[in-house]
Amino acid sequence: MTSFLDARALPKDTVLTPDLAIIGGGPAGISLALAFADSGQNVLLLESGGLNFETPTQSLYQGSETGVPYVPLDGGRLRYLGGSTNHWGGWCRPLDEIDFESRDEVPHSGWPFTRKEIEPYFTRAQALVEAGPWIYDAADKQASDSGPVIKLGEGGIYTSWFQFSKTRNGILPTHFGERYQDDLKRARRVTPLLNANVAAIRLSHDAAKVDHLDVATLSGNRLTVTPRYVVLAAGAMENARLLLASNDVMNVGIGNGNDLVGRFFADHPIPRNVATLVLFDGRCAPFYANFLTLPNGAVMRAALSPKAKFLRDHGVVGSLTTVENDVKLDPFATAAIETTAEALGVDASRAKAFSLGCGMEPLPDPDRRVTLSQGRDALGLPRLNLNMTITDSDFARFRITLAELGRQLLAAKSGMIHLSYNSRAEWLKAMDWGNHHMGTTRMHDDPEKGVVDGDAKVHGVGNLYVAGASVFPTYGSSNPTMNLLALTLRLGDHLRQVMA
Amino acid sequence: MKRRRLLSGLAAAVIVASGGAAWKFRLFGPHYPATPYDDLLNQITDREPASLFGKVALTTMPGMNASRLAQALRGQGTLAARASDDPAKGRVTEVSGWIVPKSVASYAALAASV
Repeated sequence: MTSFLDARALPKDTVLTPDLAIIGGGPAGISLALAFADSGQNVLLLESGGLNFETPTQSLYQGSETGVPYVPLDGGRLRYLGGSTNHWGGWCRPLDEIDFESRDEVPHSGWPFTRKEIEPYFTRAQALVEAGPWIYDAADKQASDSGPVIKLGEGGIYTSWFQFSKTRNGILPTHFGERYQDDLKRARRVTPLLNANVAAIRLSHDAAKVDHLDVATLSGNRLTVTPRYVVLAAGAMENARLLLASNDVMNVGIGNGNDLVGRFFADHPIPRNVATLVLFDGRCAPFYANFLTLPNGAVMRAALSPKAKFLRDHGVVGSLTTVENDVKLDPFATAAIETTAEALGVDASRAKAFSLGCGMEPLPDPDRRVTLSQGRDALGLPRLNLNMTITDSDFARFRITLAELGRQLLAAKSGMIHLSYNSRAEWLKAMDWGNHHMGTTRMHDDPEKGVVDGDAKVHGVGNLYVAGASVFPTYGSSNPTMNLLALTLRLGDHLRQVMA
Repeated sequence: MKRRRLLSGLAAAVIVASGGAAWKFRLFGPHYPATPYDDLLNQITDREPASLFGKVALTTMPGMNASRLAQALRGQGTLAARASDDPAKGRVTEVSGWIVPKSVASYAALAASV
């Protein structure tokens, strides 16, 4: 077993020459490093933080914001080994096939490949997040002992399923730093270098390839890394920041010849109490509002999701609606329920109401972006400004989905729904965010439409790749971690071929 | 003994008949003044909640009044049949956030407008 190196303890001006340098020791960086463990290539995993949270390092994330209120830039992510898996919720669900499609009703949509391209990597990604056997939408049967799924009439919404990363018996989801520390130590050719901040990516004079990386520590040490290949895996915000700030050869920033780096940033809006679900018989299976642990150990939770056909037919985007808490009804609500139930010939004397929460897929928006600001961090790097947006169309499209759920409940005579918000102000007041940072180095085969190509290589730079959700051109409504891992493993296979 | 049995039988028959009559003529249910729309409104057992809901529903139907609502509803089948049919055929509407069959909103609006 080898131990981790600490950049603060290396001699000043040390030059490291790995085959592959991975910038960022979060889930993507760690998974990619482990995928190279038996490759015969020397891998350097550069992590800005140490093994635990430290305020000075975390402060490197601070930045400013414009647009709609959002989480502080140093609030939704963590800068130490394991990255943001150190505080993630463990929710997993694969992206749907339609998430990869180009759709007229979703501007800027379309991945360079279909879901089939990453499907072979889902099993390994699922193993990395320790979410148990692959079940997801096959769970209806396995969960049937705990109660039936909500009865819906024919239509666009169905019960879909999340699986959870090792949330068993109170054990938190997989924290990649803690969980894979020993695996990294066992990987003889993988060298994790802690407290190592990449301060600049230096291109060759012709801008055709990365020449070296400038590495700095908060203690004042400086190192140089001269790799054959580089993978940027620092999260959507930092990936863009490093590309933009590394502007000595390309003055607009690396890969930014078409002014795309930093644009199309996204997060999943999670507005609270978006609707009230009423079930006439008062019975809601527990797996809608809580974890369900199956006999095989898989931890599941049900959500209500639109089908692909509904998305296409109605021009809406993905969403996952969850049942949250019991709700007390006011006299008007009771009147609405009694009147409707009587007309439908249904006994609603035991009706119960529940609040609904959701994760919405945002529409791609080039103006939702990170840019470099005037401020600088302790290492001299420009800080970021995030311009956060969410459009009325985002809300309106999700409302269509909720209304369809209401229609299907009525068609099945099982219940009904009340939509909570009408105005933009109401939606924004209820807004929360998933801290699922995506976009900023979007993937497209056309350099005028994407920062990286279908292999996740930065257009025009021969040896620079990007891993993580920053390459997502559209976002789906599924939580990104398991999906970005599948993409990262695909990148790993590609790189191993290229580097061999 | 025979007389007692006969009286008991008669009493039971009276009770059953009264119950039937009460059900038939809604003797123990809510009473409402007669309206020109009772052919429609009698399909709603309790008009109080319908009326409460209908007041708001009516505001979503510009230009509608009792007469026009009744005209629109007559000939469309019973409330029960229509309400069951509406959602499957996409005929739902939103009343103050509640998604309901269009027929339910219309009947409730009628209940509120008499």
